[in-house]
Amino acid sequence: MSMPPTSTPPTSMPRMSPHPAPALGVVGLSSGYAGAVVVREVNLAIGAGEILAVLGKNGMGKSTLLKAVMGFLPKMAGSVTIAGTEATRLSPHRVARLGVGYVAQEKALFQDLTVEENLKLAVRGRDFAAALAEVEASFPFLLQRLRQRAGTLSGGEQKMLLMARSLATGARLLLVDEITEGLQPSVIDRLAGVIRSARERHGTTMLLVEQHLPFALAVADRWAVLDRGEIAEAGASIETGARERVLKHLSV
Amino acid sequence: MIAQTLDIVTTAAILYAVATGLLLVFGVMKIINFAHGGLMTLGGYAALVTTQAGWNPWLAIPVAALFGGVAGMAIERFVVRPLYARPLDAILATWGLSIIIGQVITIAFGRGVQFTQAPLSGTLDLFGESYSAYRLALVGIAAALGLALTALLQGTRLGLETRAVIMNEDLARGLGINSALVRFLTFTLGAALAGVAGALITPLSSVDPNMGVPWLVNAFMLVLVSGASLLSLLAACLVLGGAQVLVATHFSPVLGGLTIAVLAAVILRIRPKGFARD
Amino acid sequence: MTEARRLSLILAAALLALAAIFAGPTVLDTYSVNVLTRSLLYAAVALTVDLLWGYLGILTFGQSVFFACGAYAAGLVFTHMDFTPGNAALALALGIGAALFTAAIVGWLAFWHGASALYASVITLVLPIVATQLLYSGGTFTGSSSGLSGFTSFDLSTEAWFWLAGSFLVAMTTLAYIVVQSDAGRLLVAVRENEQRCKYLGLNTSRLKIRVYLACAVIGAVAGYIYAAYAMVVAPELAGFVFGTELVIWTALGGRGTLLGPVFGALIVDYESAQLSGNFPFVWQLIIGTVFVLVIVAFPRGLLPMLFDLPRRLLGLLRPRAAVARPARVALATLDAAQTQGAEVGNGPALAVTGVARRFGSLTVLDGIDFKARAGELVSLVGPNGAGKTTLMRCIADGAERSAGTIIVNGHDIGRRPPEACVALGVGRKFQMANVFETLTVAECLQIARARHSRPSLWRRAQRLPLPEAAMHVIATTGLDRQLSTPAHLLSHGLKQALELSMVLALEPRVLLLDEPTAGLTKTERMQIGAILIDLAKKQGLCVLLVEHDLDFVREISSRVIVLHQGRIVLDGSVEEVVASELVKQVYAGSGHAGIAHETAPKTGGQEVPA
Repeated sequence: MSMPPTSTPPTSMPRMSPHPAPALGVVGLSSGYAGAVVVREVNLAIGAGEILAVLGKNGMGKSTLLKAVMGFLPKMAGSVTIAGTEATRLSPHRVARLGVGYVAQEKALFQDLTVEENLKLAVRGRDFAAALAEVEASFPFLLQRLRQRAGTLSGGEQKMLLMARSLATGARLLLVDEITEGLQPSVIDRLAGVIRSARERHGTTMLLVEQHLPFALAVADRWAVLDRGEIAEAGASIETGARERVLKHLSV
Repeated sequence: MIAQTLDIVTTAAILYAVATGLLLVFGVMKIINFAHGGLMTLGGYAALVTTQAGWNPWLAIPVAALFGGVAGMAIERFVVRPLYARPLDAILATWGLSIIIGQVITIAFGRGVQFTQAPLSGTLDLFGESYSAYRLALVGIAAALGLALTALLQGTRLGLETRAVIMNEDLARGLGINSALVRFLTFTLGAALAGVAGALITPLSSVDPNMGVPWLVNAFMLVLVSGASLLSLLAACLVLGGAQVLVATHFSPVLGGLTIAVLAAVILRIRPKGFARD
Repeated sequence: MTEARRLSLILAAALLALAAIFAGPTVLDTYSVNVLTRSLLYAAVALTVDLLWGYLGILTFGQSVFFACGAYAAGLVFTHMDFTPGNAALALALGIGAALFTAAIVGWLAFWHGASALYASVITLVLPIVATQLLYSGGTFTGSSSGLSGFTSFDLSTEAWFWLAGSFLVAMTTLAYIVVQSDAGRLLVAVRENEQRCKYLGLNTSRLKIRVYLACAVIGAVAGYIYAAYAMVVAPELAGFVFGTELVIWTALGGRGTLLGPVFGALIVDYESAQLSGNFPFVWQLIIGTVFVLVIVAFPRGLLPMLFDLPRRLLGLLRPRAAVARPARVALATLDAAQTQGAEVGNGPALAVTGVARRFGSLTVLDGIDFKARAGELVSLVGPNGAGKTTLMRCIADGAERSAGTIIVNGHDIGRRPPEACVALGVGRKFQMANVFETLTVAECLQIARARHSRPSLWRRAQRLPLPEAAMHVIATTGLDRQLSTPAHLLSHGLKQALELSMVLALEPRVLLLDEPTAGLTKTERMQIGAILIDLAKKQGLCVLLVEHDLDFVREISSRVIVLHQGRIVLDGSVEEVVASELVKQVYAGSGHAGIAHETAPKTGGQEVPA
């Protein structure tokens, strides 16, 4: 959806945004489980190449938001567009094929498959060698471990494989659910570096659900706090006082 | 002694050929396809039609696969798919289909028992024992089936996606895998394998409209103790099939017919995972 | 409608059915009377399939075996011994005994703690296959494949057999109808709906299933006995898988869970089979098979409910009916505090957890958990996702869960006890997602929660539901008392949570385990629950253990907080101490990750637990 700089939006459509469609547009989205509304009327617009961190305590609807966008959970209200394509009613595999990489918080790897098979499953419509080159650029150690079962990797290595897998697909939009959970500081730093570099090289858009505040503010351009399913506060990461504003929602 | 060993190996091979299709469907779709017996019957009659037409008896195998596969496509689309969230109802509906297949065949071919021509006749001398050539050939065919399936699952993109759906369907969907299509193809393949199994067993006995039913329960029990692994199915076929042969020769053939079902039920009571690895 | 009126209506309908049975032979030809006698007995067995499958949720393919037990007992005794009244009684006793024995074995195999529904069905599938093979291998004793025939039996006229079979069916159907409509019968539906919740309400579901299974076996055996005595022939097919599945087909066609549906399903299909199979045997089977598949796929409730719905829908098209709130059938009452004994309070703390660990393979989710909690204490468990909070709850409520350590509730070691036995010791567990019986009404859910204390009647419905004060308090505060006859699935999320809480409180627990009771609730609802919890601890002296993510909520209600992180207790102290702790801030802000247990945390107060 790139727009040539010379073209101006027609003035006959005044309500139309002058910008290209956001990489992810969420309007009035409500979702949840069996009658329980967990996410209420959430609005989000993430521009191409932008990184947004969604923060909040457990049980506030962060994971539910991602699952609803992916189509794993029914949308009770609202709509989702991905790079301008209507994706509200699509099933998860169709959403994924729009160039969306989803990294779930739990059980996101096939433990009994090898590293290589885990990568292959995610990569479609793209040369596998190119995908491996991408893995090499981010986590070269994985290339030596291609034949190893993913379940035998350490916790940190599994998270790195997850990140590598979603980058290897060439996805335009990544939805990442608490990749930092339970990780050593060194691994977190490494993930942060890879995320920033991937954005620089490919302009990948990302929505990171996080509880790790320093990581989130270091990596993301903008942040939003989800409280009981609603966006309670939002801002830019570089603003002064961002940390305190978020912490107010996170801690006791 | 040698004859008994050969009996055990060939019995295990036959059971393996009969149960693989059911195992595949159970692994991917988590439902028990009770139409498996009916589809085997269909395969048996495909073999009958082939030999009656004067074709090479070996052709019965692809023809039976075609019959089974086409029936499987229709069954998946119209009966199994709507019941995906109701696995116990899927058992019932596929059993109903088994009845339908049996009655349609009865109407078309009559109720009587018929015989097909075996692709191989006579005996082979093996370790000083003269043994049915066709039963020995079945060992090779079952091994070929097992190897082909393993190659399909381990060596192809579709196989990889199928294994992914078996392990974690939601994760697979999140990676862009169309699990509904995988399920459809799996069921079709499982039904084709049922047809092949039906064609393979006809030279051993005979063809009648209910020929598949006695096999169903044994195949079903073997699948339950095997989880979703072709390897543990092989182990289950050898152990339980072997027990069946031993009980049948040393006690009574009637008790032999019960061995697999009873042993499998007890194994599952003691170890719900059965032969599957942890 | 009063209880007496309801029961007399059922009896009146039964008498009407009996009158129809007695009039039957006068309007039907002899052939039909003959065929229908068999169909009536088959219908009695189909009734047992419905009780097991439609009500209890156990899909069974093996009811034919119990029919064969009764039939073969008659056949064998009358063939190998003389026909005398004494021997006839002996045969009946043998048939029932054999059926009970078989059912006990099947029950032991299929209904153990943790067996899946599929496994139970598998066992009932193996049963008829084993039974038929045994009959085949019986040689001249069982008559092998041709069965037994030509034995002497009761000298009754065709009409008399018809009356006997019909009366038996009417009696069994009436009995079954009264039982499933009674307070005890509702337990069957509760087990089908949510077996886990039943166990955590202190009900021994395995025992319930086995009892129903035994009762159904007896009905089947008696029907089989009458059949053999009437037909004077028995064959192995009676025990077979095909007959077993036919019973299921009739039940599904008629409408599972309706009792009358399966009875009529069996009568009509079996009678028509006999009428038509002479002319179009295969086409008839084909039609039955096709209709069966159609019904399963498109009308899983069966044909009888559809038939009943049709006029209602047509009426609805003419004049849409406003939804009328059903008046509550049950009046709530508060139990005298003296009557609510709860579990006996032992010496020492209400809950003592020592060295508890939980491992899944190589993964350690909980390790070295030690704490004690007194009666009247409200302890909050907090910690990030994956800290092991819910696992800890599970270990306290189910003795089989933990890998190591001891848990003492009210002075009793829970050992390896299953959930229902832990409930008996005074543990009450509320699940994270509201876990109630969706199709039952609020009052019915509460009645099931009380079933452990007051044995439910097998034939009556209680008009009064006495509940402990704590449960009444929740019900009154949240307004559930105005929705007693609303089915639980229509309740709002908050009311469902409140209902589950009242159900757990109806157990009169001493130790209350609550897993995120406020998840998904509105602010007002959270405040209400909070006030209730404080009240329960302070006034009722309950020991409350609460998993909570909402730290604001924790601060408002809790006297003591335990912080879990990566399966260990990192802090156990007062609310103030936790709020002031840098360590907890780090856990929540995410800077205190894997290494946290090894860091020397600043001593800001509280007893920070060294790793």
